[in-house]
Amino acid sequence: MPLPLGDDPADREQVLNPITAVEAILRQPRRVMYQLRQPGAGQLIGSMLFVTVLCSLVYGVIVGSFSGGTQWWAAPVKISVGLLISALICLPSLYIFGCLSGAQARLSEIFGMVVGLLMLTTILLIGFAPVAWLFSQSTESIVWMGVLHLAFFAVATGFGLRFLDAAFSHSQARSPVGLRVWVIILVLVILQMSAALRPLLGTADDFLPTKKKFFLNHWGECIRDSERAGRYQSRD
Amino acid sequence: MIAAAAQPDSVGGLLRAEPDTLRAWARESASALTWFCIASVVIGAGAYGAAMGSWREPVQAFYTGIKLPLAILLTTLGNGLLNGMLAPLLGLNVTFRQSLVLVLFGCAITAIILGALSPVALFLVWNTPPLNAATHLTSPEYGFLQLMLATFVGLAGITGCVRLWPLLRDWAGRSEVAGRVLLAWLSTNLFLGSQICWVLRPFIWDPAGPPRFIGQEYLRGSFFETVFDALMRLLLA
Repeated sequence: MPLPLGDDPADREQVLNPITAVEAILRQPRRVMYQLRQPGAGQLIGSMLFVTVLCSLVYGVIVGSFSGGTQWWAAPVKISVGLLISALICLPSLYIFGCLSGAQARLSEIFGMVVGLLMLTTILLIGFAPVAWLFSQSTESIVWMGVLHLAFFAVATGFGLRFLDAAFSHSQARSPVGLRVWVIILVLVILQMSAALRPLLGTADDFLPTKKKFFLNHWGECIRDSERAGRYQSRD
Repeated sequence: MIAAAAQPDSVGGLLRAEPDTLRAWARESASALTWFCIASVVIGAGAYGAAMGSWREPVQAFYTGIKLPLAILLTTLGNGLLNGMLAPLLGLNVTFRQSLVLVLFGCAITAIILGALSPVALFLVWNTPPLNAATHLTSPEYGFLQLMLATFVGLAGITGCVRLWPLLRDWAGRSEVAGRVLLAWLSTNLFLGSQICWVLRPFIWDPAGPPRFIGQEYLRGSFFETVFDALMRLLLA
């Protein structure tokens, strides 16, 4: 059983601005969890939202650097907006699953937890950014870059979900089943969002795709196109 | 800590309620609980229905937004008398009104989950290639859409039942009695619910014509006849 939030005096230290929010979520996540339960948590949520948008924009620039051109601005916008919309789409179901599990958390607190998840994920993506940038400058393979970004996203999201899980464990939820189901829904929505906002890597004539595709179809097509291109190159 | 109210006053309160609280509501504030559950079904299932139908066109979204809550409420009402009689026969001492409220409570939980999943359903519909002249009933995109939307309904339905289980067990005092009652209610609701959905179809799309609320041809035949015919065709082929 984890120590109740606020029992440790360090939990009660206020998180005043985006910088302390970043520090707190990395070093003392319980501080963030505690603040989210207090009146006036809006300021902390706002700070975390700001950091999320900023970090996702920065990582988006790195993603866009692979293709250059319009992707310098299109990829950051798409990644930032896509992450926020995905979270908003899944927020009602997290609240409902939380209530069904017996979690005593209000919608604003749940929203704060989701923003915390996004903030931690995007902060970690920034940590991966130099590696991603190096690879994006040295390879021309869209598939390889796609796999690399997905791997970074998976690791970062794993840590983000660990924060969410810990925050949830303090809300007196009786069962983690609802949260587990929700995590699957969130991941599927984010992956589909990446296909709905394609291309994030590579170039296209339009800002958004004109044809709708499921993400697995899209990945399959990318792999086939890449293999075909590889065959032509080796013949040359 | 959020304290339990004297009667249901929020979706969160209804979902978090312990069996004791729900029992007190069903006994002392049955009308408030009933109206709250009806409102939850209309809004939750309505939103999900609208998301389902929106793949076809806005008119279908409007119709399905009405038909899905209607199917749930008609099933509950249609089986109300039978469920009310089966409960005491199987050992659960509840009044007719209380049994109706309990079944409605399970449906309300299902509908609230569906309502919460409606943004995800809408996102799914939005990502599915739109209906065109080449789309037919066996098109993969239509199959995937059907499968996912039905999975959500199944998930919500199972959760609704699971939520009803501790309440029935607490009320009956014995797990066997609660199990028998739940099984009986599920069977009757599945039996009538399937036929009501059959009559109220289409929920997503009818390739035969423009959207209609209920076509004359849908009043012919039954869900079970069709399943039986399909089974026979499969076995005799």
